[in-house]
Amino acid sequence: MEPLERLRVAGKRVTDPLEQLAQRVAERVIDLAIHALDINELVAQLDLNAVLERVDVQALLGRMDLNALLEQVDLNALIQRIDVEALVEQTDFGEIIAKQSSGIASGALDAVRSQTVSLDGAIDRGVWRLVRRNTPRPEAPPLLNGPAKS
Amino acid sequence: MVTGSRVAPVASASLQGDYAGVVSRLVAFALDLVISSLLFTVALAAVNFSAGIVIGHPVHWSRSNSVVVAVISGVWLFLYLSYSWATTGKTPGMALVGIRVVRADGAHAEPWRAVVRTLILPISVALFFVSLPLVLVQREHQAPHDLIAGTAVVYAWDARAARWRLLAREGGPRPGVPAAQPSATGEAAPAGQPNS
Repeated sequence: MEPLERLRVAGKRVTDPLEQLAQRVAERVIDLAIHALDINELVAQLDLNAVLERVDVQALLGRMDLNALLEQVDLNALIQRIDVEALVEQTDFGEIIAKQSSGIASGALDAVRSQTVSLDGAIDRGVWRLVRRNTPRPEAPPLLNGPAKS
Repeated sequence: MVTGSRVAPVASASLQGDYAGVVSRLVAFALDLVISSLLFTVALAAVNFSAGIVIGHPVHWSRSNSVVVAVISGVWLFLYLSYSWATTGKTPGMALVGIRVVRADGAHAEPWRAVVRTLILPISVALFFVSLPLVLVQREHQAPHDLIAGTAVVYAWDARAARWRLLAREGGPRPGVPAAQPSATGEAAPAGQPNS
């Protein structure tokens, strides 16, 4: 072995443990510093508005894959959470529906159908209770009992 | 329960495709009897009028005084029902009530089922006091003619949409729902009226 090579090997024996020691010390110091810091206090001192003013939201949105994001959203569950009745009653949407279906015949037909359905339901429940069936009555034929129904 | 003009219980679900109950079926059948009878009477009056002109003296054919007319009346009713069920699955009476005939599994009923259903229907009607409890107790609300033809009667109208239409027409605030939002002009719409 050449004298220079021997010197490099000897130096490596010293530097490797020192590097490991330095690494451990750094980790420990950072750990202590993080535990000593009150993150909430730090965040409270931050002026988020000022930070947000410096953020280019358009550029940020441009980098986002909205399709990938939307694929993860369960739109059916989202729609289920919408109070459509409140929407119809309280918004212009309701007026649009009213204009589209303002016929007297349409209203009368809805009322008659609702009455018959109500009577159907009342009689059905009464009879079902009377015959004391424990199993629930099937709601619809198999092919019509799809997930779209609610 | 229906209170006033409101259709409260019908609201929560669409009902489309659900087995129709006995009241809807009876109302639809009664309407069909009235409609078919009315159409036949009008047609018979037209025939009487035309025959009177051709023969030269008034003609008064009717179901009660002519066996031929009574038979034609029966054939007319058969065609009225079977053709309606074979094509759209609903007679005019059923269309008004919002129900239709489907195959027992929910598929569109084939024409032969419509014919069998129509042929067995008089037996169901004759045995009304057997058919009615059967429709009430049977799990799928099937009458004898349904069981033999392999059909079922289901609702064909969207009850939830009907409720939305009603709510839209009424446009009144509901308990627990905040009052109307201010319009674009900054003015709140009067209570009970939607913003325009």
